[in-house]
Amino acid sequence: MALHWKVAGRAGEGIDVTGIMFGKICLRHGMNVFSYREYPSLIRGGHNTHQVHAGFEEISAQQKHLDVLIALNEEGISFHLDEINQDSIVLCEAHQDGYDLEQFRHTGAKFFDVPMTNISRQETGHFLSQNVVGLAMSVWILGLDIEVLSQVITDQFQQKGQHVIEMNVRALHQGYQYAKEQLPQLKEPQPKKENSQILASGNQAVALGALSAGVQYFSAYPMTPTTDILQALASYQENYPLVVKHAEDEISAINQAIGASYAGVRAMTASATGGYALMVEATSLAGVMETPLVIVVGQRPGPATGLPTWTCQSDLQFILSAGHGEIPRVILSPGTAQEHFELTRTAFYLAEKYHLVVFVLSDKMSLESYMSMPRPAETYQNKRLSFALDPLPADDSYRRFEVTEEGYSPRSVPGQPHGLNVTTSYEHDEFGYATETAAMTKTMNEKRHRKMKAVLPDLPRAELIGPEHAKLTLVGWGSTQLALAEVLRRMPAGAVNIIYLPCLWPFPCDAFFHYAQQAEKLIIIEGNLTGQLALLIRQETGIQAHHHIRRYDGRPFYAEELIIELEALIE
Amino acid sequence: MPTIFSRSTQRQTPEPQTTEPAFSSPAVPLDAATPQPEAQISSDPGKHAFVSRASMESPYFPTWCPGCGNFGIWTAFKNALVELEIPEEKLVIVYGVGCNGNMADFNRVYGFHALHGRAIPNAVAIKLANHRLKVVIVSGDGDTYGEGLNHLISAMRGNHDVTMLVHDNQIYGLTTGQTSPTTEKGTKTKSTPAGAPETPVNPLGLALNSDATFIARGFAGNIKHLTQLIKAAILHPGFSLVDMFQPCFTFNKVNTYHYFKEKIYNLQDQGFQTNNKVLAWEKTFEHDKLPIGIFYADPHSTPFHATLAQLQSGPLVHQSIEQVQMNKALKGYS
Repeated sequence: MALHWKVAGRAGEGIDVTGIMFGKICLRHGMNVFSYREYPSLIRGGHNTHQVHAGFEEISAQQKHLDVLIALNEEGISFHLDEINQDSIVLCEAHQDGYDLEQFRHTGAKFFDVPMTNISRQETGHFLSQNVVGLAMSVWILGLDIEVLSQVITDQFQQKGQHVIEMNVRALHQGYQYAKEQLPQLKEPQPKKENSQILASGNQAVALGALSAGVQYFSAYPMTPTTDILQALASYQENYPLVVKHAEDEISAINQAIGASYAGVRAMTASATGGYALMVEATSLAGVMETPLVIVVGQRPGPATGLPTWTCQSDLQFILSAGHGEIPRVILSPGTAQEHFELTRTAFYLAEKYHLVVFVLSDKMSLESYMSMPRPAETYQNKRLSFALDPLPADDSYRRFEVTEEGYSPRSVPGQPHGLNVTTSYEHDEFGYATETAAMTKTMNEKRHRKMKAVLPDLPRAELIGPEHAKLTLVGWGSTQLALAEVLRRMPAGAVNIIYLPCLWPFPCDAFFHYAQQAEKLIIIEGNLTGQLALLIRQETGIQAHHHIRRYDGRPFYAEELIIELEALIE
Repeated sequence: MPTIFSRSTQRQTPEPQTTEPAFSSPAVPLDAATPQPEAQISSDPGKHAFVSRASMESPYFPTWCPGCGNFGIWTAFKNALVELEIPEEKLVIVYGVGCNGNMADFNRVYGFHALHGRAIPNAVAIKLANHRLKVVIVSGDGDTYGEGLNHLISAMRGNHDVTMLVHDNQIYGLTTGQTSPTTEKGTKTKSTPAGAPETPVNPLGLALNSDATFIARGFAGNIKHLTQLIKAAILHPGFSLVDMFQPCFTFNKVNTYHYFKEKIYNLQDQGFQTNNKVLAWEKTFEHDKLPIGIFYADPHSTPFHATLAQLQSGPLVHQSIEQVQMNKALKGYS
């Protein structure tokens, strides 16, 4: 059983919190959940939606077709005509909002003009709980347990006090009673299952992953789609040895992270790609200083301010080369919330062990969508890595940038006796003193780049997902992998398999070559115009795909649309 | 010489998490790549328990032009550090990029030679990561009042406990003579052949306006006075700004030693009190005579790190992350 539910209305009407509550209702029934948000870059008045796909089977992305649509205004229907049909139920307030439902009859959907606002006013004295009433009606239609909703509401409004909780609980019971009497039930009531999962956005998963990895300094400047990382980490400060600094700009944010890391704590910064563009010079600084640094980059459509609240994957080539001079780096590309958690942990491990800049490259689709993921463990162990011996020899023989075979050298931190050195943005010798000699310049460049080889055994590996042989072999990265996982589940067995790429740099040449060689037809699917992953694959392996599917209109891929394109390629 | 990795790395214990694969092989020393530096640092540990002239000696001697104001500032700075008896490992100097920043190679300390204009964010985070450290920023007028002005204002507003020593030579020296944010309006430089078009920044007025809690001005030609200023600045709990007149022999033919000797007077010699922002404000606008000394100081200010509850139990870097309990963070996610 899967259900597809959406709430649509004006910004400022609590669309998002309604969507998250519905996601939690499903989660507490034991389901897997994916919920996707669309909203314009406005605080009030624009068209907002929050859409939930939930079910007991595996779920990884939203779909177009809806079972239930709650429309809080006329646009809540008119913008979504291609998402509803005779199997859909639409809850709206056409009479009160002053529009005619006849114009939408051709969709075949069942429209119900229901008193969400009236029940809200009657029970709370305010229209704002119309969402709660809508949720209660949805719960009836989809065969869910009203008590679960009641508990979700209680938890949600905990901060607002008992009075607010009671009013909302009254409103939801009225709404449920109305629905029971007036509305059909679309899905049979389902037995609930135990569910230990949590519901987290990509951003929240990054924050939790960083916390589990012992992040102690996070500095950032707010920018969609990574602002929630700043907010989540800021909220953890009261319980953890963590300083979160909202910096004066992105340049300061990354330089603060580098300073904190130099002083010995695990540090991270995050921004949208536009904000990251301001951090490019300092990326190079971390590279030459060999200071561990985790940078989370959230892609959104550019150029420039672009489409602030939409999604794309148009910055891979930028991140591959960002930073003047040649600096080693690792680029991880999570898709699911769980991957955001795990790969952020991995990023801290790699950065500290190898003294590297490690990117977690994601996008709005993944970062701002809520996904069920396994509950993180109670406790995480973090061994500190690649620090200099303490105490150091008292003869001042310590060399911070000692030339080693694996490229990274034991790191002293300020406060440690006999570990004095200059950590400098200039090219330098083993002690850190600036140098311009040809021999040392060459030696140090080579030393730093040896890390790219040393790091290989520790990188997350490329995998083949699905059957070993398939008619089409799909390649995607980041959030595109969410839609591809849905495609794999929905297409007939043997139709497609997927090359999964959790790490894009260093590019997993051998593994990719191996899988690509077995492919009948190789299809690269990515969210940009110029085929940036395709370019990378060709550069690193010489392999050219048979076909490309690209999207660069700010919208994520939908499995239903991809399947139509892919079916045409099989014939 | 053996590679000095910490024991925990050498032990090669596999990580319990599957996401963290086993360690790679330990470091193998190659042939030493760095030739022995010309100057040898004393290996007597007793000699550098505290920052001293001997402990600060690096293998490199300054490359500044003969007669550069940097020499006087460097001397005063070292005097101040020696007199303060700071354990050598507890001092971090963050350098900007410019002639002054090249001091990074002439001081044997924990040094962080930053990007041009960005020393401040590095420094405030070093302090927040380990607030037991003394953090001093060595930078210039272009670095601080031009490229990184946003950071300066923010650090002053936050009262971050770092000391900022601005080498103010009113010219870009390292790039051989262009206008700086403190160049007098109308001064002809290589980048402004018709004369500098902007009114210069008033750094001390800006500091007052940004609620900096220690604001002073010194002169490279008065080492004794500058030593005392730098000492007071480092001891100040909170953000301290010392703007330092620094003659540039090579590229600034106007603001010379003679120019400053004629114009300078010491505020404290006149009994100037340092607790009045309005009087200090007036002093920042004096041009015919140039006041040096402490303009304003609030010795009771609370530095940024002291406002953070999570630092009450000790510096961040000393708080262990080897075991992280997740339960408190996981509330509200299900």
